[in-house]
Amino acid sequence: MTTEVTNIVVEVMPHFEGYVYPNESGQHPLWSVLIVLYPYITGLVAGAFIMASLVRVFKVRALEPVYRLSMLTALAFLLCAPLPLLFHLGHPERCYEVMMTPHLTSPMAIFGFVYAWYLMAVLLLELWFDFRRDLVAWSNVTSGFRGIIYRLFTLGVTDVSGPALRLDDKIGRTLSIVGIPSAFLLHGYVGFIFGSIKANPWWGSPLVPIIFILSAVVSGIALCVFNYMVLSWVRRRNTDMPCLDIMARFLFYALVVDAAVEGLDWIHRIYAAEEGFQIMKVMIREKLFYTLNLGQATMGTLLPLLLLGSLQLLRKRVPELIRRRMYFASSALILVGVLAMRWNVVIGGQLFSKSLRGVMAYKMEFSGMEGWFMGAVLLALPFTILTVFIKLFLSEKLPSAGHGEPTAARG
Amino acid sequence: MGLFKMPPQIVRLVLLTIAIVGSYFVARAFLTPASFHQYGWFRGNALEELASYQPVFAGKKSCEECHDDQYQKLMKGAHKGLSCEGCHGPSQAHVDDPDDTAARPKKEPFSACVRCHEFNPSRPKWHHQIVSRTHYSGNKCTDCHVPHSPLDVP
Amino acid sequence: MKEALSRRNLLGRLGAAAAGLMALPAARTAKAAVQKLFVSANAPNGYDPTKHKWVMAIDINRCIGCGLCAEACKKENHVPDEPNYFRTWVERYVITKPKPGSGEARGEVLVDSPDGGMHGFPEPPVPTDSILHSFFVPKLCNLCEHSPCVQACPVGATFDAPDGTVLIDPKYCIGCGFCIQACPYGCRFLSPVTHTAEKCTLCYHRITHGLNPACVEVCPTQARIFGDLKNAKPDDPITQFYQNNRVEALKPYLGTEPRVLYAGMDKEVR
Repeated sequence: MTTEVTNIVVEVMPHFEGYVYPNESGQHPLWSVLIVLYPYITGLVAGAFIMASLVRVFKVRALEPVYRLSMLTALAFLLCAPLPLLFHLGHPERCYEVMMTPHLTSPMAIFGFVYAWYLMAVLLLELWFDFRRDLVAWSNVTSGFRGIIYRLFTLGVTDVSGPALRLDDKIGRTLSIVGIPSAFLLHGYVGFIFGSIKANPWWGSPLVPIIFILSAVVSGIALCVFNYMVLSWVRRRNTDMPCLDIMARFLFYALVVDAAVEGLDWIHRIYAAEEGFQIMKVMIREKLFYTLNLGQATMGTLLPLLLLGSLQLLRKRVPELIRRRMYFASSALILVGVLAMRWNVVIGGQLFSKSLRGVMAYKMEFSGMEGWFMGAVLLALPFTILTVFIKLFLSEKLPSAGHGEPTAARG
Repeated sequence: MGLFKMPPQIVRLVLLTIAIVGSYFVARAFLTPASFHQYGWFRGNALEELASYQPVFAGKKSCEECHDDQYQKLMKGAHKGLSCEGCHGPSQAHVDDPDDTAARPKKEPFSACVRCHEFNPSRPKWHHQIVSRTHYSGNKCTDCHVPHSPLDVP
Repeated sequence: MKEALSRRNLLGRLGAAAAGLMALPAARTAKAAVQKLFVSANAPNGYDPTKHKWVMAIDINRCIGCGLCAEACKKENHVPDEPNYFRTWVERYVITKPKPGSGEARGEVLVDSPDGGMHGFPEPPVPTDSILHSFFVPKLCNLCEHSPCVQACPVGATFDAPDGTVLIDPKYCIGCGFCIQACPYGCRFLSPVTHTAEKCTLCYHRITHGLNPACVEVCPTQARIFGDLKNAKPDDPITQFYQNNRVEALKPYLGTEPRVLYAGMDKEVR
């Protein structure tokens, strides 16, 4: 139990207990922290997009202040999503082969296409139609580097007449409707990479892709809450309380569904108690005790469920300030909890031998491609990109005619 | 033509799409290896490349070509199932250049015998096993046994 | 519509795009011809992969655990020395007698494979008289009929060759490790030298030149039986093996249909 924590924090000699296949007895799991980040970041993309489409498709008008922020969040994280995958390849220079000769029976081969589709046919297009009017307006009032960027993004189309804008809106909504299944596809496929591996009892389950999608939605909404509150704080603006309340409500609903399906998965595993169950017990009791029981279940699920659930009942009686802090705390907890969940899936699936006779230890280094530092850089990168996006496209100094944005806060 | 009644933003996107999809197919035409799909969803040339590696073990037949006497002796005895290189080590370098003394397989030490014949309860019962500590006080198996014909007495 | 997009301009662009697409097959043929020129140097020496079906079988009753096979494999295929890279290895199973009165049929199951068994095995960790059964199991690529590794490879770098081997194209593998995760038998590893996946190739460079795989060559007891199912004669060892033994595959419930079959198997082997 304690070895898990010491293994994460300090270097201890790698070892294994019981029998593991010789090829499994190496120092590191084959897929380590980079592959933990990959589904995490992809999930945040999918979730943030679902959050944005609540405004567009389901017409939840109260959420308009975060619409653009959510879309830009999705884009910033999507741009970083392939990086961990790329860096962990043995031959990153050969990555183009996935697009050139995709082996269609492999879940991983679909990555290039799903990614390209989601980035170009969904996210960028929808953002373009959303921002087109503003881009034209901004390119007229700004000069220099900024002006060039805006002009470039208009793609040379300056028609912002009434009918053109109505068309933009219609197409944007259609794209949003197409985008929801696309977001599910994007993250469901990531889950399928793990869920399709029948050799590994920890991964190979048809529920895994569904759990991935649901936890993605949860983490994405939590990220939007988090980003919105941080942005408001940085800009010294009041948060739009009705908007925040509604976001928290959707976050609560998503979390309930996610927790229910994850619970179902565990009940099924425990009840069926198939061949790998003995080794799974060791994983839960020892190898993943902290990240699974504390990180994922308690901090990431139960605590936010309590916080958000109690606010659903007592919203009117809790003062705004407390409510804000509780929302912030639950979104941060969920973000950590979902990261712990990805860790448990990816690392957990590699801490026991496929001979089901032994377990391996894992020490995480600080430096190197699979170390703490690289992981932190890759997690910070999308936030950096998002900051640039906010400066460029959510600037308070520029006139905006689009859907609401944080500056248009009503509270 | 209907195309020109389309709004400018759509026309621009259609052109962009054609450019992106087109460049994908151009790239694919040039970056797919020529022998891909020759036998299946893989590079057909890989078979030749994998087959062109140099062996390290020469095989029993190569040994027979020069060491016919030893070979005949071995094949008459109880060790006929053994490969020369199992005890003497990999010999392709020696086959390639028989005069190179450095590449010549060495005389085998005691360990070559006990590697198979030392008693171990995991070994099948039909296999001849000894406990070397109590079996013989000398240090050479060849005092009593002929490896190439193990049932003979020297 | 008013600016750069005149009708002529647009038609010109579309025409150029269409011409480009039509030129593709021609360009591709030209490129193939050029590539052929460069690779013809190592053309196959009369070996036709469609005329063979290679397979290996293991007779557990004959294995004495000398480890020559694992050692020879490392030398023949230049497998990295570290004890966690093996294309073939030998496992030892020790099943102890049950405690008297425990009501169990068999006792504990102890499995080990020190250094992949390539230097042989020490005495078992339990006294000889408490052992119910003990035996060695050589492991290698199971040559699955429905290989999960081939299914998982995103680029077609690992493949079922027409001659029954499952191979990896070292020049095409991107090193993602998905095949290693997908292999239920732990037969693959990511080479620290080439940064690509590696595994048993049945010594492809040997079998295509009429030699036996290195492990089969050095095995002193013929516990490893190698043959060509498309050209097998009735007195070939492989035909004899199938005739004389009832056989079992590893982890049959996964539906991978391994073609490497074992005689003398025990339920604890996986």
